[in-house]
Order: sequence, then C-alpha cells, then structure tokens
Amino acid sequence: MLRVDLLLSDLQTKPARRQFLLQASALAASVCLPQLAWAADKKAVRRIVSIGGALTEIVYALGASHELAGVDTTSLYPEAATKLPSVGYARTLSSEGILALAPNHVIATEDAGPPAVLRQINAAGVPVTILAANDQFEGVLERVTRLGTLLERPMQAAQLVEKMKADWQRVREPILARKTAAPRVLFILSHSPGQVMVGGKGSSAEAMLHYVGAQNTVQGFDGFKPLTPEAVIAAQPDVVLMTDQGLSVVGGVDGVLKLPGVAQTPAGQKRRVVSLEAMFLLGFGPRMPQAAAALDNALLKVMRT
Amino acid sequence: MSHAQQDTHILSLDRVTVTLGQRTFGPFSFVIQPGERIAVLGPSGAGKSTLLKLLARELVPLSGQAIFCQQPLKDWALPDLSRRRAILPQSHEVAFGLPVDLVIGLGRVARMHDPSLASIVRQAAEQACAAHLLGRRFDTLSGGEKARVQMARVFAQLWDVEQGLLLVDEPLAALDPGLQFSLMEAIYTFAANRGHAILAILHDINQALQGFERLIFIKHGAMVGDYHTPHVTLPLLEALYNVNLAAAVTEDGEMIVAPSLKRKAVA
Amino acid sequence: MSTSIGAISLTSRLTTGLLNRPVWFLWLVLLLCFWVAAWAGAVPVTADDWRVLWRQDEPLTSGAYVLWHLRLPRTLFAALVGAALGLSGALTQGLFRNPLADPGLLGVTSGAACAAALTIVVLAGSGMDIPVAWRFWILPLAAFAGAVGVCLLLDTVARWLTADSIAGLLLTGIALNALAAAIIGLCTYLATDEQLRSLTFWTLGSLAGGSWPLVAVLSLLLLTAIWYVWRLVGAMNALALGEAAAAHVGIHVRHLRRRVIILVALLCGFSVAWCGVIGFIGLVAPHIVRLIVGPDQRRLVPLAMLVGAIILLVADTTARIVAIPAEIPVGIFTALLGAPFFLALLTSVRKSG
Repeated sequence: MLRVDLLLSDLQTKPARRQFLLQASALAASVCLPQLAWAADKKAVRRIVSIGGALTEIVYALGASHELAGVDTTSLYPEAATKLPSVGYARTLSSEGILALAPNHVIATEDAGPPAVLRQINAAGVPVTILAANDQFEGVLERVTRLGTLLERPMQAAQLVEKMKADWQRVREPILARKTAAPRVLFILSHSPGQVMVGGKGSSAEAMLHYVGAQNTVQGFDGFKPLTPEAVIAAQPDVVLMTDQGLSVVGGVDGVLKLPGVAQTPAGQKRRVVSLEAMFLLGFGPRMPQAAAALDNALLKVMRT
Repeated sequence: MSHAQQDTHILSLDRVTVTLGQRTFGPFSFVIQPGERIAVLGPSGAGKSTLLKLLARELVPLSGQAIFCQQPLKDWALPDLSRRRAILPQSHEVAFGLPVDLVIGLGRVARMHDPSLASIVRQAAEQACAAHLLGRRFDTLSGGEKARVQMARVFAQLWDVEQGLLLVDEPLAALDPGLQFSLMEAIYTFAANRGHAILAILHDINQALQGFERLIFIKHGAMVGDYHTPHVTLPLLEALYNVNLAAAVTEDGEMIVAPSLKRKAVA
Repeated sequence: MSTSIGAISLTSRLTTGLLNRPVWFLWLVLLLCFWVAAWAGAVPVTADDWRVLWRQDEPLTSGAYVLWHLRLPRTLFAALVGAALGLSGALTQGLFRNPLADPGLLGVTSGAACAAALTIVVLAGSGMDIPVAWRFWILPLAAFAGAVGVCLLLDTVARWLTADSIAGLLLTGIALNALAAAIIGLCTYLATDEQLRSLTFWTLGSLAGGSWPLVAVLSLLLLTAIWYVWRLVGAMNALALGEAAAAHVGIHVRHLRRRVIILVALLCGFSVAWCGVIGFIGLVAPHIVRLIVGPDQRRLVPLAMLVGAIILLVADTTARIVAIPAEIPVGIFTALLGAPFFLALLTSVRKSG
C-alpha cells in the first residue's frame, strides 16, 4: 500500500506522466500509448521476432534469416532456427523479453498471446503483425506474399510463390487423375500417453488428407476431440496417420495398435500406420508441396500392403 | 403474578412453544428473578437443550411470548443481548488454537470501546481458576483447563453488569468431582456478587439439590414441574426419570439421591 | 577485529529484533523484493534510466520505458494481486473455521473461470459481432460476475439447506466447484481451436496485463477492503468459538458471513478477471502467517496480505527472469517456491512445538 501511495504522490508532481495515467485509464488500458522509446531505438538493420514455425520457415525461404532476432518454441525448421534466442511458448510470451531483443517488427500467427503482451509490444512502438492461417494452400501463398512485402523482398516472395505453385501442380496432378478409391484415414494426435485426440471435420489434418485425395473417416465432430474406442471401430480406417512426435509418445506402431479400438480396424489388422514430422505435415509453410508429396507416397506405399 | 414482580424479573416465558425438526416443544411458562439459581432436570431427549436454545435465542418461539428485561427477546440486538446474558456451552472446542487471553477476551468482542479489557480478562481468569493458563494456546489445554477458560470467557462477558442471566449447559459433566465442585462454587460466587440469575441444565440430581434453589422438570418436550428445592420429594424425581431412587441424608442434613437397583414398574 | 565482532552482534541483534516484529520484517522483505523485481528483467536497466524517469525534459530511454510502462506496473500489480489473494484466503479460512478452506475450495475461483469459459465459447460461438472496445472488457466482467454470482448462490443455497451452518456452505461450495469444473470441461470440448486458445490464456494465469490503470483500480479496491475488514476482524475471531457461541457473544453471524463472502467475491473476481487462475496463495499465505504469529485474525489478516504479496512478487519475478527472453507461467512458481518453504516451516514448527 505504502508503495502505491508513494508512486501516486510522485505522479502528482509530474504533471505530464500523471496526465498520461489519466489518459490511459480513460482509454481503459494501455491501448494507445504514445510511441516513445522503441521508435527512437530503431536501427537501420531490420530485426524480426517470428512467432510461429511456418512464419519462421517462410522467413528462411525468403533468405531473410539474418534479420531474425528471435523465434518461438514451434520454430524447429530449419535446424538453424533452433539456435536463435527463444521467446518461449507462443501463448505465454513476455513483452519485456521480446523488447529486450530490440526488434523492430514482430510477426505472429493467431496463436500468439496473451493479448495484453501483444498490445504492450505494439504500444512500445514495435508493430505486431498477425498473419492468420486457414489451412489452405492459397493461404500459405498469401502469407508468403505478405511476408515478402513486410520484409521488403517482393521479388523473392514472388519467385517462392511461383516455385511452390509449380511443385504443388506436380504433386496434385497425379492425385487428381487417380481413379482408385480414396483411402480412409484416421488422424491421431497425441501429446502425452493419456491424451489421445483424433482429427475431425475441418481439422488441419483433414485439409492435408483432402489435398492428397484421401478421406478423413471421422466426420462426427469438428476439430480435435478425445479418442473413443467405439468411434474408432465405427470409422473403420484403412490407415492411421500420426505425427512422428505423437507416434513416439504412444510407443511406436505397436503402441498405436494397443490404443483402444485400433486393433479392430483394417488399419490395425494390417499394421498400416503412417507418420510424418508434425511441423512438416501440419505446419502449412513453404514445405507444403513436399509434405503433400510425402504424405501421398506414404499412403500409397502402405496401402499396397 | 404481581405488578412489582413484572418490573424486576429478568426473563419471563408465557406459554412459549418452539419447533425443532419435526417435534414441537413446550409450552414453557416461568419467570426468572434476579439472583435466582434454577436447575433444569429431566431425562435425556426430554427437551432441556431445546429450552436452553430458546432462551439463548438460537430458536425462535412458534407461539407465546418471551420477555427479556422488559423487551421481547426477539427484538434485542445481538450485541446488546450479549451484555445481559451469557451462555456456558457444553462443548469447549475453539478453532485454530487461539491464545487463551484472546478466547477470554472474546466474551467482550461486541463492545466497540473496551478500555478495561485487559484487566477484566485477568480478573475473570483468576475467578475461574484459569489465571495460570494465560499466555497458552487453547488447543494445548486439557479438558478441565478448557472448561475453566470458557468459564472465564463467560465471566468476562458479564463482568461489569448486574442482574444478568447466565445459561449453563451441563458444562462440567466430564470433569472430576473436585474440579466440578470448585468450578460450580466459582460460578455461584460470580453470579451472587452481581445479582446474575443462573439457569443450568444438569444431569446430576445431587448437584441440583445442593446448589440450586429452584428446579424445573422437563419431560416429553414439555414442562412438568417448577418447584422450590425444599419441596422436591423423592416420588417427584422418580416420576421424572422413571426409575426407583434411594435417598440418604448426610450429617449436615443434605439429601443425597441415587438410583435404586430394582427398576420401578412403568406407570 | 573488534569492529567486525561488533557488526556481527549488531546484525544478529537486528535480525532477532526484526523476527520478533514480523510486520516490520515482512515489510522489509517486500521492499527488498520490489527492489530486486524492479532491477531484474530481460531489458537491462541502469541508474541513468531511473534518473530519466524522474525528469520531464528528457525523452524516455528504452530502459526507462520498460521500467515505467512494463516493469513497475507489473511488479506493483503482482504484489497487489498477491495481497488480494492472501486477504481472501485469510477471510475464507476464518469464516469456515477451517485452515484448508480457500476461495478455490468454495468454488469462487472456478465460478469466475467458468463464466469466462462460457463467454468465450457461447458468446463468441454465437457469432455476435462485439465491438473491439468491448472485447477488452467483456471477459473480465464475465469472470467478475461469475465470482459474485457463485457467492450469492452459495449464500442463498446454504441458507436454504441448513440455517447458518458453515458445513452446509462448504458442501455447497464443493458442489458448485464440481459443477463449474464440468461446465469448463464441456466448454473445452465444444471449443473451436481459436476459442481453445483464449481458454488457455485464462487457465494458465498471467500477470502480463499489469498496467497503471489496473494498479490504481486494485489499490482502491484493496484500500476499501482493508478499511472494511478492519471492522470485521474482531468478530471473525469470535467465529472460532463456533457459530452458536459467536452469536452468544453478540456477533450477527449471518450478516458477517454475507459481508465476508461478498468481499471475497470482489477480491477473487478481480484477480481471476485480470490474471486468470492463480492458485495456492490463498491457501498458503494465511497458513504461513498462522505459523509465525498465531491465529489471531487481527494480526493474521494484514500479515497474510503481506505474505501473499511477497509470494506472488517473488514467483512472478522468477517467472520473468529464469528463461529470458521467454517467460514461464507464474502459477508454476507460486507452487514451486511456496510449497517447499511452507513444508519447511511446517516441520520446523512441529519440531519446536
């Protein structure tokens, strides 16, 4: 209490700062703080903090990696990104921590937060740009183009978009031409042995499956929901798809077959389990054409057994 | 009931009934005069504690009138009421292990300004033979010591008033006879000095006969008798408890009552 | 040589003197924590930054900017929230005559969190177009309303069940807790990815939102609460005698209970509204104080506020600095730092007692 009183009396002797306090309370929060310090600190060199693995990948693909001042914990590719200062888990960012990296731009997916921290960084004169994802190939291209503009590399961005489009074309053509029945796939996501989820309608996993001409067997609900044995058996998947991380958490292919219900499905009986690295499969970054190709190949290969 | 009596009495019950759960108790009608010592006797479950709850204003009368110091009992503000009547409870437990001084002082917690609190706490503790317990934690005390501290708390509550009412709910049953005797003596002295009336629920017939001048009998939820102690006879007590009693008289002429071995035929 | 001996004896005298005056000792610790918290952080701060802060004519340096706009308000906010949680814990334990009771047990905290979760999932899911200016307020307001709602419900239901019985209130609290947990679970199940994100912010608990306006509001709230509590602490001591005996010594138990409950709802609602769920402090701060100075509410209540402030300030400072430039959820450290200290204190007291 004493401390507060001291500070408040101090405020009274400092009219400008006191006025600021009143302003801020009138605005209900520090939404529109005067841009003071960081504007002055701006250096000629661009310093970017990237929050979101896909964004970091795009920054690298645009050849702007030397401008990265920090990344979050999902920025695992390329390997070099993991050597950069880590601002931590995207949902528990620290305003001071990020400001300490002296960035002049923060780019983030909509996962970043808490919202108050993003506001504080913005208020300190560091623009925060949220690049939303929509699990669509076109969305990825749009992100690349926008980042190209932000990083003043429109040429590289245009080249990358062209290359990705060409790759995408090459991957998609045979899939679209294919006449065989679409494999029925169950996507299982697991962060810990006790927490096993399956991907339903509109999940990011379903988007990838559709691009490779496969069918998501779970249509009963939206997004990711806990796995129930009966739903798994009812779905009768031909293949179980997982992330590498999830597969190792449940204990490899044998572990997957022990998950309730899986053994009673065609996928379980024929040991058809496919896994890909999480950020590669579901990152929706510049590697998306390669990811689609890899998924397609893996599904084709496993369906032959 | 004369007019003069009405002005001086502490408490009067006029055909008061009260419900507790499914049962209705009463009607109770009696008057308590300043300085009176009244014992309430009756078999277990007869409604003695219910009567005490009624007088303590824990229960609200269903019908009839309860007047405390010229004012309906229900109209008293709790802090004002606490300066005129105190209750010595049956159980002595206090949460958190408060210090003894504080527990005794709690008797006077309703007073906003209480400059003499410390000295009253000390004197009350002395009177309740608990002065040596000051400074200790309540939860480290033995059963007898806890009873003494609770008694000191009640003394502190009514320390500087006169003609109050002290309600006692069988507080000493679990103590050894010597301690019971000295504590009852302390209560009598405390009350007599200030003109407080005592109404005590008792299980010990002899204690009632020896220490109290008036006995109220309760049976099956109703009041069945209100006697001056010299008028109480063995058959009255036998009827109250439904047992055969044997009586002996001491050298000092006091009657001592004990259950007889053969059971009385139920009337 | 003699001077060093003199210094040692002076220090030890000073230490024993301070330990015998827990209030001064704890204030000193709190000030020390403020000192450390103000200096420690991702952005290095120099004495020059402090000087600039006091001058009108000079532009703020980056260090001074961080100090004024981020670190100082957050530090103060952490201490104030800690004090509010400590206070509500002390009040709840006193009210229920139970050292295990805390606002979490009563369902107040989960009621607030539940209202927030419902707002996120149902309101956002209904597709209503909420103006941006409102979005900032709507969740805290919902949490606040949830805490107050639970408290009022608690009071009403408990009175229907068993008149004036604290056990009934506690049981009601436990039932409400289960209900709130179920609703939060349901919300989590129904939530879309985006809504799940907001729910996570909420359940992790964070003091990152600390700002001068919040510090001002919370100071006012706490000052009012202190003024109000000051007149209740004596009566709260009497509750230790039991409800019946408290009434016998002149305490209006039902009024007292309602007042304390509303106060706890205000304090908890505010902290959950702006910081999410921060557990443990409400339980442990009053406990620590009880071990040091005993159970007298008149000393317990102010000291529980001090200890709550210290715990949360230390936890938040640790959360800010151990993984620079990242930050670790503060709830982890309240338990990580508080629990061992509490256990140590508990065993040492048991040994000596």
